Parts: sequence; C-alpha cells; structure tokens
Amino acid sequence: MPRLLRVLTGVAILGFALTFYLGFFVAGRDIEQGEIQRIFYIHMPAFFGAFTAFGATVLGGVIYLWRKSDIWDKIALAGVEVGLAFALVNLVTGAIWARPIWNTWWTWDPRLTSAAIMALTYAAYLMLRAGIEDPNRKRAFMSVYGILAFVSVLTTLFIIRVVPETIHPVIVGASPQNAQGSFEATSGVITALVPSLLLWLTLMPITLIWHRVRLENRIEAVRRLKLSVLSE
Amino acid sequence: MRPMKRLIALLLPLLAINGILAQEEESQVPYFQSSAFNVPRLGGWEDQSTDTVAQFYYSPANATIRTAMAPEEDILAAVRQDLRDLVGTALGDQIYDGKVNLADGTWRSLIFEPDEVTTISVMARKAGSQTAIISFVERDPALRTVLLTLAQADDSLEDASPEIARAAKIIAGIDMKYLAPVEITALLSGEWIIYEGDGFTAMGMVFGNDSYVALQEGAPGDLTALVEAYNRTLLGFFITPDNSGYLALALAAVFAILGGLILSFYWRWRHLRQELAMIARLQAE
Repeated sequence: MPRLLRVLTGVAILGFALTFYLGFFVAGRDIEQGEIQRIFYIHMPAFFGAFTAFGATVLGGVIYLWRKSDIWDKIALAGVEVGLAFALVNLVTGAIWARPIWNTWWTWDPRLTSAAIMALTYAAYLMLRAGIEDPNRKRAFMSVYGILAFVSVLTTLFIIRVVPETIHPVIVGASPQNAQGSFEATSGVITALVPSLLLWLTLMPITLIWHRVRLENRIEAVRRLKLSVLSE
Repeated sequence: MRPMKRLIALLLPLLAINGILAQEEESQVPYFQSSAFNVPRLGGWEDQSTDTVAQFYYSPANATIRTAMAPEEDILAAVRQDLRDLVGTALGDQIYDGKVNLADGTWRSLIFEPDEVTTISVMARKAGSQTAIISFVERDPALRTVLLTLAQADDSLEDASPEIARAAKIIAGIDMKYLAPVEITALLSGEWIIYEGDGFTAMGMVFGNDSYVALQEGAPGDLTALVEAYNRTLLGFFITPDNSGYLALALAAVFAILGGLILSFYWRWRHLRQELAMIARLQAE
C-alpha cells in the first residue's frame, strides 16, 4: 500500500473517531428534537461525501473521454461505489430521523424524492456497467452516463432552495416556510458539524476511492493473468 | 498512483464550501432546561429555580410562576403535593376545574383560593407516569388575579370575549356587559384585548381554538406583566422527547453500510488473492 494512502487511511479513521466524539459527546442535546438530532452530524456530511465521490466520477469520466486512460475510468467507477454507499447513509439516517420528528419514515417531499432518484441513478450505473461486455464501449458509455448522472446530485443539492413546497429544513440560511425539524446553527452545532463535514467531504471519499481503485487494478491484473494462462 | 494525487489536488477547492458555514446564531430565548421539561426563563422576575423546578417571583404583585414535574399520575393529588410547600397551607377545594386540548395534549385548568389573599391558577397534564404542573400563585391582598385557558365556544371568532364573559361569571360572578374593550396590546405571547370595568380588568387572546383569559379584581395592577409571563411559560413549555433508540438505530445503519462497503473491498481482495494462488498452482503443475 502506498505510504500516502496508509497515512490517509489512518487520518480518516482517527478523524471519524474524533468527529463521532464531537457530535455525540461534545455537542449539546437539542432540547426540542432530543438525541436524534445528533444524526445530523452524519446525515448532512454523508451527502457532501457522496457529492465529492460523484464529483470524482464526473472528473474521471471527462478525463477518460479526453485521454482514453483506463485509470480515470477506474476512478469514475470507484466514485460511484463509494458515493452510492454515502448516499445510502444519507437516505437511511434521514428516514430514521424523520420517524420521530415528522412522524413518518418517508414522504415524497421534493428533497427526499430527488435524493432517492439520485441513489437509483447511480445504482443503475453499476447495473448497466455490468451489462456491457466490450471494455472500450463500456468505459466510453459509462463516462458519459457518469457525467450526466451528476445532474441528479445538483438537483438534490439545490431543490430545497428553489421549490418552496418542502418540509426539509435548511440549516445554512433560512428554512422554507413549511420546514419541520429545523434547528439553529449554534456554536455547538458548528463545532461538531465543520470537522465532520471536512472529513466526509474530503478524506473519507478520497481514501475509499483510492482503495477501490487499487482493488480495480488488482482485478484487472488477475483478469490479464488468467487470459495469459488460458492462451498458453 | 499519480492520477489519485491529481484528484486530491482537484478536490481540495471543495474545502471552500465550508466558508458558508461561518455563521453563528445563538438562541434568542433563554430556557430553563431540566431532564424532565423546558420553559422560557422570565426576564425581570427573580429566578428561584432549582435543578428540577423552574420558579420565578415577581415582587410588585407578590406573584410566583412555578413549573414542575410531579411523580404522581393523579393530577389533583400531584398539584396539591407540588404546591404544598410553596403555599404553606392546604389548597382546599378547587373553585374551577376544566379541561382544554392544547397542541401537546389535554390540560386540566384549576383555580384554588386557599385563603383570602392567595389565588392559584394551575395548568396540569399527564406526562407518562408523571404530571406536568404550571402554577401561578398571586398573594397581593389588594388584588385577585385568575388566569385560565378555555376551549372556544365558537372557533370562528378572533377574540376571546365569550370565554372572558364565561370566566367572569364563574369566577367572579360579574356580568360581562359592564366590561368594555379599551385596548389591543401585542405581547410576545400574542395579541391581547384588554377590557376594563369598575374595579375589574380582563385580558383575552385567541391561539389555535382556545382562549387565554386573565381576570383581575381590585386596584388596577400590572396585569399585562403577569399575563405575559404566565402565558409565555404555558405556550413555551415542552418536554424534550426521548428518542435515543432511533439514534442507536441510525448509528447501527451507518456502521452497517460503511462496514459493508469496506468488507466488500476486503472480500474481493481476498478472493483475488485466492485466484492468484490458484493460477500460480496451475502454472506450477
């Protein structure tokens, strides 16, 4: 394992432990929402982690189409796998928060709907990728798909700022009129949120994407070895 | 791994997004917080609170507003038990006993007059196996102040005058026709209409489908301050929900998803190692 990746992995694990401590032991309990509000310190950063990972897919796709270098296709694929896991963390923690606060696990609110469509779009990426046999065609097609799929990420990010009929709260800036479950960005919230956001936005996706790219390199190497053994 | 280093360099500008989080806004309303309930702290009132009881005293009217959680399911018994030490005498029979449905449950509205100078207005409701009690105790010999919450008889009305008339008749035996609205005043708790009669002042506000009513007999006192403090306490009262089970469930889900991703990496890596070993064996054979 490269030394930089070892360092990144160690820092990411320590960072996860630190942000967990800040969010669950240092930040105060929200007196209106109770303990469940603490899940926000994972819920929102997980979305931004997915944003970074899917951003890596766009970057990988664009550079692959430009240079036809396989490594960028591997980064794009790794971005989807990691981003999808983060998007699932975001969706599941949101649903569990909604049960005591909104009195329902799920509602077809614009933000929730767009987040679900985003996750399904990237799940479809993995299924489609598995279904195309020609490697070059697969890489080119999935690069274009990965770039276009990012529209669902941007839609999810901005929809609560343009569609007023949402109950999803906004923490940075004024919440929509119908928002339920808002809370103030007090110093305690900021103290716990900013390190967590930094971690999920940068270290976690980058480290996991790098590990996944190394795995893909190994898969490719074994595949080549198998072919060479079979051809002997 | 040069592309990975390039990717890191390209993603670093995303850090700038954290700049938008540089705002900080502290709560505007200071709250008394206990493990059992929360109520706003009353500015201008002497704070006599303990860890478990929120109690504020207003010397100009010799009035106390007390919020407590009594370990008793029977509401009347809980109220008597909670106020025993504060009043220093038995409460006697209630002179008014009614129920009203507010947003957080059904409250019981009670009025006691244990002696000639003391008037006690109480709102109480069940909270699990306990009873939440908000009491207003007024001991000014020159005044008799009563604070009530009543369901509106006609919820299409914007003012509380029917309920003021009802309360004035029940509590003081006063006919409403001698009262006339003299002023509308906007307080933090809402917009109140003030009525005045001969030696009698009333205030009323409608919130939801309920009327919040205040009656004061005697020399004109500082009824507005008392009404505002009591109703801010009543409307600002809430119990922090215990939803730590949901938090545990959410954390389990987070660890399951992230753990699943990392385990899938590990299993695939391990499977590849086994395949390599098998290929090496086949080549050796």
